[in-house]
Amino acid sequence: MNTGWAKLAVVVLGVLLLTSTAIEGAGLPPKPAKLTMAVVAGGETKGLKAILPMWEREMGVKVELVEFPYPTLYEKLVTAFQANASTFDLLIADDPWMPKFGSEGWLVPLDSTFGYKRDNDIFPVVYDLGSWPPPRGPVPPGEASKPRHLYAITLVGNVEFFLYRKDLVSAPTTWNDVVSNAKKVNNPGQPLYGFVIRGAKGNPVISEFTPVLLSYGARIFDDNWRVTLNSKAAIDALTFFTKTLKSYAPPGVANYDAAERAREVATGRAAQGFIWPAEITDIVENPSVSQVVGKLGYTLAPAGPGGKHAPLIGNWLLAIPKGSTNQRWAYEFILWATSAKVQKPYAMGGGIPFRKSVLLDAQMNKTFPFFKAMADSLAAPPEWRPRTSEWFAVEAILGTHVNAALAGVETPEEAITKAAREIEQHMKEAGYYR
Amino acid sequence: MRHWTPYLLVAPPVVLLASLVVYPLLYNVSLSLRNYRTGEFVGLHNFARALDDPQFFASLWATAIYVSGTLVVEILLGLALALLVHRTIRSGWARTLVYLLFLIPMVTPPVAAGVIARLIYSPTYGVLNVLLQRVGMIHTDVLWLAQPFTAMLAVISVDVWQWMPFVFLVCFAGLQAVPVDTAEAARVDGADGWRLFRHIEYPYLRSLLLLVMVFRFTDTFRVFDHVQVLTGGGPGATTEFLSLYLYLIAFKFFNLSYAAALSLFVLFVTSAAFSVLTRYLGREAGE
Repeated sequence: MNTGWAKLAVVVLGVLLLTSTAIEGAGLPPKPAKLTMAVVAGGETKGLKAILPMWEREMGVKVELVEFPYPTLYEKLVTAFQANASTFDLLIADDPWMPKFGSEGWLVPLDSTFGYKRDNDIFPVVYDLGSWPPPRGPVPPGEASKPRHLYAITLVGNVEFFLYRKDLVSAPTTWNDVVSNAKKVNNPGQPLYGFVIRGAKGNPVISEFTPVLLSYGARIFDDNWRVTLNSKAAIDALTFFTKTLKSYAPPGVANYDAAERAREVATGRAAQGFIWPAEITDIVENPSVSQVVGKLGYTLAPAGPGGKHAPLIGNWLLAIPKGSTNQRWAYEFILWATSAKVQKPYAMGGGIPFRKSVLLDAQMNKTFPFFKAMADSLAAPPEWRPRTSEWFAVEAILGTHVNAALAGVETPEEAITKAAREIEQHMKEAGYYR
Repeated sequence: MRHWTPYLLVAPPVVLLASLVVYPLLYNVSLSLRNYRTGEFVGLHNFARALDDPQFFASLWATAIYVSGTLVVEILLGLALALLVHRTIRSGWARTLVYLLFLIPMVTPPVAAGVIARLIYSPTYGVLNVLLQRVGMIHTDVLWLAQPFTAMLAVISVDVWQWMPFVFLVCFAGLQAVPVDTAEAARVDGADGWRLFRHIEYPYLRSLLLLVMVFRFTDTFRVFDHVQVLTGGGPGATTEFLSLYLYLIAFKFFNLSYAAALSLFVLFVTSAAFSVLTRYLGREAGE
């Protein structure tokens, strides 16, 4: 009898122990009063703002957005991280910030901390982008030996692709097709230009030129961060960009930013060009400001002479700072906001989704005719800016010389040679090599 | 206690000054003498680096063109307008109206001025090209912001629009000090407009013009906002003035030590200009 009771007690205890462990594992800590999230001020948060009431209704936790202009957001985040402050529970970060945030160890790893499981409905590039150290390409000195973790997941699936006037030309696949199309329709007297360039100095011209540069087979760095920019492929790419493409572009593109480019397309003055999703929803497919609604087709960035397509990725990522005191709930929010269930209302609310099932959904493509091109671009896979915290300096150097070549101040050879020399000098000073 | 009273009274401003001006300045000096990554002391290395930096000299040259262009145009135009209004407009309300109109550019935020100018100078829909084409001065669009020379003119023009009124207001105020009977006597004696200015009005304006020159020099030497909006320093680096280059070094290259060294150079130049003027003005007052 005694033995029987003892056995029963052991079984009951075992069951209790297992159950309590399971409850603890799946359970959530008490609800915080709110989650504070640092976000960039602008269109990137439109979709997020649209889904927040849903989250608050379902989960009963308020999310407070603290908005900063682009450069201020980076400074605020860095300051908060350095102090390990609990100011923010969540943040959205531009993907070129990942090298800095990842190498400094400022973010909570989502896989090892919460057991995040990868989802086939999400393009692999999304996981690559949020991982540190990066799974491909050169890795900054001292980072390669660190264990790789997933620190962030895309919220804004920004990727650069190509637009064309489908009522005038056919979808271009290569840069040769783009030139043929441009030749066919270019008529400055009308005016209708074959190609529009976002050529302003710095980030604008680099976002535009990088897909051309990489499609020509050129690279800025090799796997050891040695500058390989000074190559025939790079000079050919810049010559094509600043001579051939420019000859079909509106005058003055060396000072064009996104607003000018979108205006040229929306007023029917430009037949082809690169485009980012936000410019489409806000301007070129917006019937209240655009004269070309329904006349535009979208496709993958054209391939260069070797057949390589090189769309550029520019995602905004959701992550949790180590200083957050509500990490578990912040993770719940990430899971919820990036779930298949929420991505559709997110897209309908003006957000830029990133899930295959949403981007390839036939109904969604009727409303958002560029989703298929986005899916193709994310599957390509798109190129990312070299994973180094020195990227902003590299972009500033290259952006000055490419802009100078576009304005005719420097020849393509001069621009590439000078940029390569200055980038190498900078990387040396930054301690990448002697 | 009475012994301490003066010290206690000056303590608040001294503490404020020390924390807001002296400490940041000393910190900046310390930063300029260190390696920005390791923090190790490198002496004058960051200053020596500037001497070997072609982009620094290019930005200095661009700044020199900008400063001299804006100074000359603003002072000549501001002075000419002040003389014109002083000599031709007598009515009080008309003068008040002129004052008010001239205040508008000065209270416009430089970034807004840059955005407006960007629209005006746009090659495809900018109003400037349209107007010039209508009056037959040009036949094709001028690419104001995409060519080095015209981009420089464009950024200078915004500064002139915004700050020439300051020169005007100071000169106009100075002209009010000219005794009416002295000017009348000169006219009766047959002095023409130039002689009236040279011998009667200019002596009252000389110190003010010097003061204006230093204010405008220090301001234009540090210009940033509207240039960043209008050209971003382009095309290439042709309008990348010292302040824009400094911003690039500090916030794109994150080389805070070199940026600190360059900012001390800017401080040195503007302080030198100020000290030259105060000595000159002091000598004038002594005369």
